[in-house]
Amino acid sequence: MSATVSSARLRMLFALFAVATLILSARLVYWQTFGRGELLGRATDQVRSDLVLTAQRGIIRDRGGATLATTVELRSLYAIPAQMTDREKNDLRGSVATAIAPILGEKAEVLRAAFSSGAEWLFVRRRLPEATADRIAALNLPGLGFELEPKRLYPNGAIAAQVMGFVNDDGVGQYGVEGRYDAILRGVDGRLVVEQDPDKRELALGLRTAIAAQNGQDLSLTLDLATQTAAERELAAAVERERATSGSVVVMDPRDGAILALASSPTYDPAHVGSADPEALRDRTIAWTYEPGSTMKPITIAAALDKGVVTPATSYDDVGYATIGGRRLSNALGRAYGPTNVTQILERSANAGAVFVASKLGAHDLFTYLRAFGFGERCGVDLAAETTGSVRPLAEWYPVDLGTIAFGQGLSVTPLQLASAYAAIANGGTLYRPYVVATRRDADGEHRTAPVAVRRVISDATATTLRTMLTATVDEGIANGASLPRYSVAGKTGTAQIPSADGRYVDDAYISSFAGMVPASDPRMVVVVVLERPQSKLLGTIPAMNVFKGIATDALRYARVPPDRP
Amino acid sequence: MTVAQAVRAPRARRSHQRPLRGGHRPAASRSRAPASWEVRSFVVASLAIVVAFVLVLLYLAQATAVSAEGYEAQRLAAQRDELRRQNTLLEIESARLEAPARIEADAAKLGLVRAATIYVVTPEAIAARP
Repeated sequence: MSATVSSARLRMLFALFAVATLILSARLVYWQTFGRGELLGRATDQVRSDLVLTAQRGIIRDRGGATLATTVELRSLYAIPAQMTDREKNDLRGSVATAIAPILGEKAEVLRAAFSSGAEWLFVRRRLPEATADRIAALNLPGLGFELEPKRLYPNGAIAAQVMGFVNDDGVGQYGVEGRYDAILRGVDGRLVVEQDPDKRELALGLRTAIAAQNGQDLSLTLDLATQTAAERELAAAVERERATSGSVVVMDPRDGAILALASSPTYDPAHVGSADPEALRDRTIAWTYEPGSTMKPITIAAALDKGVVTPATSYDDVGYATIGGRRLSNALGRAYGPTNVTQILERSANAGAVFVASKLGAHDLFTYLRAFGFGERCGVDLAAETTGSVRPLAEWYPVDLGTIAFGQGLSVTPLQLASAYAAIANGGTLYRPYVVATRRDADGEHRTAPVAVRRVISDATATTLRTMLTATVDEGIANGASLPRYSVAGKTGTAQIPSADGRYVDDAYISSFAGMVPASDPRMVVVVVLERPQSKLLGTIPAMNVFKGIATDALRYARVPPDRP
Repeated sequence: MTVAQAVRAPRARRSHQRPLRGGHRPAASRSRAPASWEVRSFVVASLAIVVAFVLVLLYLAQATAVSAEGYEAQRLAAQRDELRRQNTLLEIESARLEAPARIEADAAKLGLVRAATIYVVTPEAIAARP
């Protein structure tokens, strides 16, 4: 009897084991066939890491090799609140907050609230200065750690801010050179697939697949840091002294269109873009237009000289105004100069004289020359957000427009367009495309930007004649405030009214400017200075000329340009 | 049969199967007697095990050395990256210190003023000197 029971139990036991074995076998077959991929994936995930190899953003330098922008990895502080405990598992979030708050310049309560917000992981402060990160690291607090993050730094602060642009938190260039050349500055990120140990260290014998990152290209600009600094210093001082709404400066090498300095006011610090006035982000030298006023007279006269309808000695009787299209256009303050030749038109900045010359030239030719000088279209400078200015189509001109445009009203230009036109006068008549990036360097070596001569605008003889006339304007005429000791200067002042939204001109507010070249005998630089609404009003050209003198004095010294006068 | 028995057995069998003839034989000729297949296979197996063991040891030693060198290489790479980072920071600091705006500001604090006139000696003037 007992043997029978025992045998039954044995059979039961056997059956139990048999069923268990079948189940386990079925399970094993499942995992080895259908579930194999999932298991393999889980196992792989535990050891394999897919990392992005971040490409280094290119460095931007000035023409002398000074660093204008570079990227460095700074430490970002992160917190894991759950790990803020001591050995006895006491909560240390409060004491950690209290310890780092004064170093970060933050209130301890704010940090404590962040640590208690329920987040498992959070950034406390990103891209810390090295000294700050060192001080926090020295505390060796639990639950805190550092992670390296790239940051774009501009060692010269606000200098050339609008030209440079900036890089946002996503690493994308905005405005200026950073925006225009973002694609080649950024480079191409790489990829690294490796197997790691539990400490996140790569296994030397494990899988390793790498696609190397291609770093961004380095750029060398045509900007000269010393000239740029002088331009910003003089402009800021003039804007502050004159309480001007805005100001801008262009310094250009007329021999090839290379831009030596571009300054705009108001400006901003690229290190604090978030708090910058949006208007300050605008590069006013290329993205702001104004009616140029009398700085346009040399362009009108250049066209007339080149066309042969006047000579420097051609004269007329100035009665203080000119009538054209049934409208009377007066000189500034209504002054009558009597017999006046074309050179004296510039020296006295006579509006009636400009109308006289324009009448000789005709609307069609004036329009043709304006377009040839590059007005009404983009210069093509290699910066983001350039605007065109406005020269209305000839068909839309009223008869009076021939007169007003002759002295710079009724059209709008950017400071860079005016500088390019003056550069054509300075270099013998060729309009060059302005450019900012001189060279770019990649793995294949250095690539130099070739200057682009857009077109010949006026003859060399006309340009030489006009430079002589503009030199007289500085030496003996209205622009005498721009003269420099031992250097010849050619230039012209401009005082323009400001159009309002209703189509009329704003009362008692002006845009004052000066456009000049130095040394006049063989120009090495063209400088255009524009001040919007200076408090000196009609005398606003004087501070504009002072800005020119300050910039030219420094730039000539730094460029070691010898004087051309005893 | 244990390993010891297996080793001893052939000698015991030899003594039964080949009795000594005509007195004693020299010890040297006894030792030159061919070993049985059991001895040979035991020796071969033992050698194979020892060789395999040594090979495994060599592999493990090499793998450990490679892993250790790999960790060392990573440590050195991290050190290199950190030095590069510090170098970049120093270059930035250098550029900041060399900035004309900073130099002008510091010069002004020291009470320095710009030179009013810079005298330039022209090549012609140098050539004209006796």
